[in-house]
Amino acid sequence: MVAAFNDEEEVTATLRAVLADVLGLAEDRVAAFDESTPLFGALPEFDSMAVAGLLTELEERLGILIEDHEVDADMLESFGSLLNYLRSKALR
Amino acid sequence: MSGAGGLAFDRYTVDGCSEWMMRIGRAEAPPIVIVPALFEEMNRTRALVTAMMRALAADGFGCWLPDLPGTGESERALEEVSWDDWRTAVSEAADHAAAASGRSPVVAALRGGCLIDDAAEGAAHWRLAPALGASLARDMERSGMAGVAWAGYAPSPSLRAELEAAVPEQEARLRTVRLASDRNEADAKIAGPALWRRSEPGTSAALAAAAAADLSGWAKTCAAS
Repeated sequence: MVAAFNDEEEVTATLRAVLADVLGLAEDRVAAFDESTPLFGALPEFDSMAVAGLLTELEERLGILIEDHEVDADMLESFGSLLNYLRSKALR
Repeated sequence: MSGAGGLAFDRYTVDGCSEWMMRIGRAEAPPIVIVPALFEEMNRTRALVTAMMRALAADGFGCWLPDLPGTGESERALEEVSWDDWRTAVSEAADHAAAASGRSPVVAALRGGCLIDDAAEGAAHWRLAPALGASLARDMERSGMAGVAWAGYAPSPSLRAELEAAVPEQEARLRTVRLASDRNEADAKIAGPALWRRSEPGTSAALAAAAAADLSGWAKTCAAS
């Protein structure tokens, strides 16, 4: 089991690592993402096939459970919206 | 090709059915049996595994990669295969490598392969990024959001149920390796991409080299003690 996250920056770093890993994006490109960077529908690498792998990898690395009904276009819209969701799940 | 880095195909038997296994390295060399990742992750990590096997063969090992029943060149259909068939296959593959080399193998498993590698009797175990069965099952369910449930694979209900309940078993001589970006506990962390998540199969020479080096070190440590 993953130790509890208590640092917002750790969640951010994990999201960046998973985006680079799963979507095959260059690390320096992902490092430049900010809260307003659009994700789903804006990155050709981030298609519906990639969503499943991305969510499962985030679950494994953050030790959280993402309910399918919580997954929608708003949550995946931008780096900031996905990060906010993950922080609400991982930081308790 | 039959040199140290040569590629050969052997047969092994699971419950009376003949299956294939790929070997890189000499049959009589210290053996390493690879238990592959499961379902779609097996395909996504195939190039990684092959690169690891080549590096390990160059290092003096004989590497064996069995086709699990219902996968690869197997003549059996996946929907007729049970979880126990896979466990039996892993055990038989390890026995085959042990008989050919005269030595007990190191059993190296990736991802979901870590859920069945305890079926193999080996001198030691090594795991790369072990996954929980429940997590793999959720991922396969989720791939249905893109229209194709279980990524087009059709496991039997019993295989599916066993997968969902499976967790990696504790082993006496076990080394677990994870990616540097993974916060879960491990004996060592290596840098590289999570190839098993990529929707397009790929490989990483750096990850293959790092994984092979760690596995080689562990196998030599275990052989020396």
